[in-house]
Amino acid sequence: MTSSSNKPKYWMSPAELAPPLPAPKEVGEEAVRETGAWGRRTFLKATGFSAMGAFLAACSPGPVKKAIPYLVPPEEIVPGKAYFYASTCGSCTAGCGLMAKNRDGRPIKLEGFRGGNGPIDRAHPISGGGLCAAGQAGLLGLYDSKRFPAPKNRNNTLTWNALDAEVKAKLDAAQGAVVVLTSTITSPSTQARIDAFLEKGANRRHIQYDAMSSSALLDAHELAFGSRVLPRFAFDKAQVIVSFDADFLGTWISPVEFSDGYAKGRNPSAKDLHMSWHAQVESGMSLTGSKADRRLVATHVQAFEILKDLAFEISKRSGKAIVGLDSGKSKRPDDVKLLADRLWEAKGKSLLVSGSNRLEAQMLVARINDLLGNYGKTLDISSPSFQRKGRDQDVGALVADMNAGRVSAVIIQGVNPVFDRPDAQAFADGLNKVDCVICVDGSPTETTAKAHYICPQPHFLESWDDAVSVHGVLSLTQPAIRPLFDTRHFRDSLAAWTGDTTDDRAFRKKLFKDSLPWKKTGAKSFTAFWDQTQHDGAVALDMPSVAHSPWQKNAFDKLVFQTASEFPNALEVSIHGDTGMWDGRFGHNAWLQELPDPITKMSWGNAASLSPGTAQQLNLSDGDEIEVMAQDFKVKLPVRIQPGQHADAVVIPMGYGRAGTDRFSKVGPQWLEGDLTVKSGDVIGVNVAPMNPIVDGRVQNHAIVTIKKTGAKPGLALAQTYGSLDLPEKTAPPGHEHRDIVKETTLVALGKHASDHKGGHHSSRDLDLWDNDHANDKPHWGMAIDLTKCTGCSACVLACQVENNIPVVGRDEVERRREMHWLRIDRYFSGPIHEPEEIDTVHQPMMCQQCDNAPCETVCPVLATVHSEEGLNQQVYNRCIGTRYCANNCPYKVRRFNWFDYSHEDRLQNMALNPDVVTRSRGVMEKCSFCVQRIQSAKADAKREGRPLADGEIEPACMQTCPTTAIVFGNTKDHKSQVAEAMADPLEFLVLEELNVKPTVAYRTIVRNHDEEEGGRHG
Amino acid sequence: MADEACVDIPPLILGDRTPKDVTADVAAPIERGASKSWWVAFIVALSLLGVGFAAVWYQIATGIGTWGLNKTVGWAFDITNFVFWVGIGHAGTLISAILFLMRQKWRTSMNRAAEAMTIIAVMCAGLFPVIHMGRPWLAHWVFPYPNFRGPLWVNFRSPLLWDVFAIGTYFTVSAVFWYFGLIPDLATLRDRTKSKIKKAIFGFFSMGWSGSQRSWMRYEVVYLLLAGLATPLVVSVHSVVSFDFATAVIPGWHTTVFPPYFVIGAIFSGFAMVMTLMLIARKVLNFENYITQRHINAACRVIVFGSCVVGFAYTTELFIAWYSGSEYEQFAFLNRIRGPMGWAYWIMVSCNVIIPQLLWFGKVRKNLLLVFIVTIFVNIGMWFERFVIIVTSIHRDFLPSSWASYCPTAIEVATFVGSFGLFFTLFLLFCRFFPFLAMSEVKGVLEKKGGHA
Repeated sequence: MTSSSNKPKYWMSPAELAPPLPAPKEVGEEAVRETGAWGRRTFLKATGFSAMGAFLAACSPGPVKKAIPYLVPPEEIVPGKAYFYASTCGSCTAGCGLMAKNRDGRPIKLEGFRGGNGPIDRAHPISGGGLCAAGQAGLLGLYDSKRFPAPKNRNNTLTWNALDAEVKAKLDAAQGAVVVLTSTITSPSTQARIDAFLEKGANRRHIQYDAMSSSALLDAHELAFGSRVLPRFAFDKAQVIVSFDADFLGTWISPVEFSDGYAKGRNPSAKDLHMSWHAQVESGMSLTGSKADRRLVATHVQAFEILKDLAFEISKRSGKAIVGLDSGKSKRPDDVKLLADRLWEAKGKSLLVSGSNRLEAQMLVARINDLLGNYGKTLDISSPSFQRKGRDQDVGALVADMNAGRVSAVIIQGVNPVFDRPDAQAFADGLNKVDCVICVDGSPTETTAKAHYICPQPHFLESWDDAVSVHGVLSLTQPAIRPLFDTRHFRDSLAAWTGDTTDDRAFRKKLFKDSLPWKKTGAKSFTAFWDQTQHDGAVALDMPSVAHSPWQKNAFDKLVFQTASEFPNALEVSIHGDTGMWDGRFGHNAWLQELPDPITKMSWGNAASLSPGTAQQLNLSDGDEIEVMAQDFKVKLPVRIQPGQHADAVVIPMGYGRAGTDRFSKVGPQWLEGDLTVKSGDVIGVNVAPMNPIVDGRVQNHAIVTIKKTGAKPGLALAQTYGSLDLPEKTAPPGHEHRDIVKETTLVALGKHASDHKGGHHSSRDLDLWDNDHANDKPHWGMAIDLTKCTGCSACVLACQVENNIPVVGRDEVERRREMHWLRIDRYFSGPIHEPEEIDTVHQPMMCQQCDNAPCETVCPVLATVHSEEGLNQQVYNRCIGTRYCANNCPYKVRRFNWFDYSHEDRLQNMALNPDVVTRSRGVMEKCSFCVQRIQSAKADAKREGRPLADGEIEPACMQTCPTTAIVFGNTKDHKSQVAEAMADPLEFLVLEELNVKPTVAYRTIVRNHDEEEGGRHG
Repeated sequence: MADEACVDIPPLILGDRTPKDVTADVAAPIERGASKSWWVAFIVALSLLGVGFAAVWYQIATGIGTWGLNKTVGWAFDITNFVFWVGIGHAGTLISAILFLMRQKWRTSMNRAAEAMTIIAVMCAGLFPVIHMGRPWLAHWVFPYPNFRGPLWVNFRSPLLWDVFAIGTYFTVSAVFWYFGLIPDLATLRDRTKSKIKKAIFGFFSMGWSGSQRSWMRYEVVYLLLAGLATPLVVSVHSVVSFDFATAVIPGWHTTVFPPYFVIGAIFSGFAMVMTLMLIARKVLNFENYITQRHINAACRVIVFGSCVVGFAYTTELFIAWYSGSEYEQFAFLNRIRGPMGWAYWIMVSCNVIIPQLLWFGKVRKNLLLVFIVTIFVNIGMWFERFVIIVTSIHRDFLPSSWASYCPTAIEVATFVGSFGLFFTLFLLFCRFFPFLAMSEVKGVLEKKGGHA
């Protein structure tokens, strides 16, 4: 219809004709403003308000406020805003970088290291950007209420001055030896203080001791190259990796560093088929073995024979025979040939490592690497690692000296030999004969119980420190909080006992100013360099390489290669470091106690793993108790049946059975049928360190044992009880015996059929009743997880627990299958159960899949779980009434229910709570939120700074900490984002896609470097 | 001789009872006061209720963790008991409404007690959805009432909310229907009692019933209307309850056959429970003339019919699981039959499908002890049916990593026992204070004899 001025204009109301009249002024209101006097209404309002206010105020006594506002607010601290300190992890000697996340003056989380260029800059020269579970859990060590609050002698608390006076007098008057026993010292300044202390008397000596010892590895390099150092391993440069029982992704020396390198070398795609080949020779199933492309399952004795044959083969090929080496005893010529072929083909690009603590084994490994030309390429001793320095023989000598009464004083720092040495009893007896035992430690251990003086050591989050754990890398530690207790750093103690009054700060600065090539960094002054390094956390320096000789010709002369004439037809116990406990140092850490072992999925204790065949023979099932008897030591342990294990192997993790772990007896809910996590006076798990034999002064990790069923059934606290994707035979539908939850392929298949792989999940996008349901221009958050990169190390599980205030629920609750972890790692085995070498393992991190068609959302009667505009499935705790219908209807079973009020009674420990995440009360459901608090915080930052949110800026806790960058998070609508690119990969798949619940977590098919025939094995 | 019923139908009420006799017989248990056996039964029931009360108290004070549930099995005894009790209730409505509409006169000897059983069973059922909540003190949030929590409303897509409406409606209509039927009888009691207090109470609740022709006329009309209103509820309530499972994605739950399957199961279990109660009551309360072999035969036939249909439903489920080709569906049923909880499935099949087949035989139906035992088995079987559906489906669903087992705790068992305590306490009170039979209706089906008295 065209408008024409001739036509009459119709109007419907006067308002349409004329502009509205101004609203009449309300008399009372305006009068106030205009006259300044109060009108009646305003007066009445004010009266009412005041009266009401007075009334309410009178209802309760006024609160007594004890908070005192800052007179001078601390610099850079904004209440409610997190800030980060770059520092160095002190949980072990690997020297990983970390970021201590602080809120309002207290550290609340330890995160993977990030450089200056934002969140994606995973730039630490050692650890890249990851941090392991144990490292992160170090935070709880800071807030451990059992820490030593003040210096003391056996009976009384002392002042530092009083203690120093007594100790110094005793040390100076000492007739016998004065021994400083420490763990590996990676700090140059601490080493300098020790050296200064030693200079004060000829009777003083320093011994370094590693409970997870690399003594033989160090000794081998001393023997072969004249330099007692660890080689620095470059797993990223190795195309062939052969590991003899070295759990380098789990607990061996520097797992975060090695995982980072390992994953870099194993990231194949259809376009780039580069992937290393990894063979593992081991008796049990280790975390590292679970990722191997080829596992050779052999007892330690057999493995040594394989190593000998391999060395023989390599030496034959290179024309440099090893004196005194026989061969052919392993009786596995095909496997030896396979390893030799692979290694030989990849000369200079291969890497052989061994976890053995036998000098002969380490010498052969070093020789093979040398003959393959790997030194200087995949492992380096001119730029070596100092992550281990301990010498087992020295400790053995100390034990002898102490028992012979030749030692007057021992200063023990940071080690617990009374717990973790096989000759712990002799060590303890020896300590009883020492006049003055001084322990420098943070919290009580078996060893500090023997001390005459206890000098509390500050936590690494409370101290200034430094480390050169790898040649050419200086990592600095800075405090993230003032010391909580009356503690003093070991260096200060040493200075006091040396009689040196130099301030620690000045001492360190002088030391580093004189010894470091800081001028090469281009810094204007040392102070500038130092401040910058302190800020950055670490710096790589151009240091002159460490001198070493070439392979020494007579290196093998002194070695005798004993041959087991026949393999003993007996069981062999194999003792390994535990992912959570390591050597036992984390025994008092509740987070790590509850962390399921990546392989056995067991928490709160250790078990003896047996192969399925052996267990069947002895009529044992999971949780049955057996007695394991070594030569003169026996323990009782529950059984865990472990596929992929040698029939003659009994595998037990160490580090359990720490004294005082009955502190956890009341952890978790206490109720009618609830069992205690541990009985009062009892300990969690069993210490098996005394089972390790000492050979040539070095602590071994395997021994001959016998086992016996006791008939008791203590049970296991397992986070996962069914471990296969193959259904139980009796209930498997014909044709569907296997659950297609995880997709696998092989490198060969990937190369051949690259074009066949299609992103299957794109098809289901069309199966919807509505077009573009609830369209908006907001981001849609999604996650992609690379199952090839994921090693199952469980760093993400712990990161999630710390970030989201997830309670520790205790052994009984785990046993009842009520653990609260929002993020779990599903571990599946496939392959014939009685053929250990044919077992493949899958680690699949599983958390809320944030389904777009979420089945949980429709069933909640009160809308306590709803979808956000950004694609998040949100749980509203306050609204939840706890029907658990959502959890029942979740196909992924990722929802967690608060069965009880989980206690937050330890007020010190509560300081680790994240104030951005509410603690949940009893009766409500909870689950992964994609760390929505981090999403919101990053969005707020971007908005405040007036810029768009950058890709990668939001890092959920799991992604942030992952040592192998297996997790990518971001906006799936942004096609350039990392996550969108990852999801577009043809190898990507969705779990249970056929249900059409539209999960927004995509997984990347596992690529195994099998031969194709092998790969076709499991379809 | 059972089949002689087809040839020569015996009267519904035996013993040549006159209307006066009927009144006297029905009023007798109320008027003569509590017997010793009543007291014994009542104290036992009350003790069970006490046990249940203590268990619920403890559970609410401590947490749902005192039940044997876990991250995988979120429902077990709680919802099993809920569905079980709702199912029990169904027979009452069926007898009083549907059989009324179908002019099945034999219902008159049973309908009053069956309706009371319905109401009490629904009360027992209603207990469980409330106490199974993590935060039962917020149970009122499931009602869509105007509130000050912002624009927060309930989720009309949730089958649990449908349950709230279905059960609420069902309870209301059943209670009204039952009470309405009671009015003439209450008036009779009012007229018979000599106590002033009782007179006042009965007078109040009989709403001034005069027994006039006009009153009766209106009464009949309203009764018919209420019966009409209650009839669809027989089908709807358990259909809605079945939606809790049918609309879920879990294999073993996600089944379209569930609504009719649940309804017939409910009628089946309800009739079994009615028979269990009637067989005791006719003995204890001397109603052998009113609840006769003919009634028992009729009820037994309904049970046998229910058993066959339930068996058919079980078979259908298995067939559809196979026919669907869905691996998860097939696994769910194989696991149900042969998995770690296979024993529960076989209890269900034996009790519900196999044992009730005995009732085909007249000799069995005449052996009241045997009938009683069969009905007990059906009660057990139908409880297990719900347990099997709920627990065996969720304990092993999609991801094998999360498979878990389930074992009830003492608290759970005590709560279940307590619900029986509640049921029998209330039912015994009903027997003691209300006319167990609908006098007025029974009088209507007395054989009319020429030259009476």
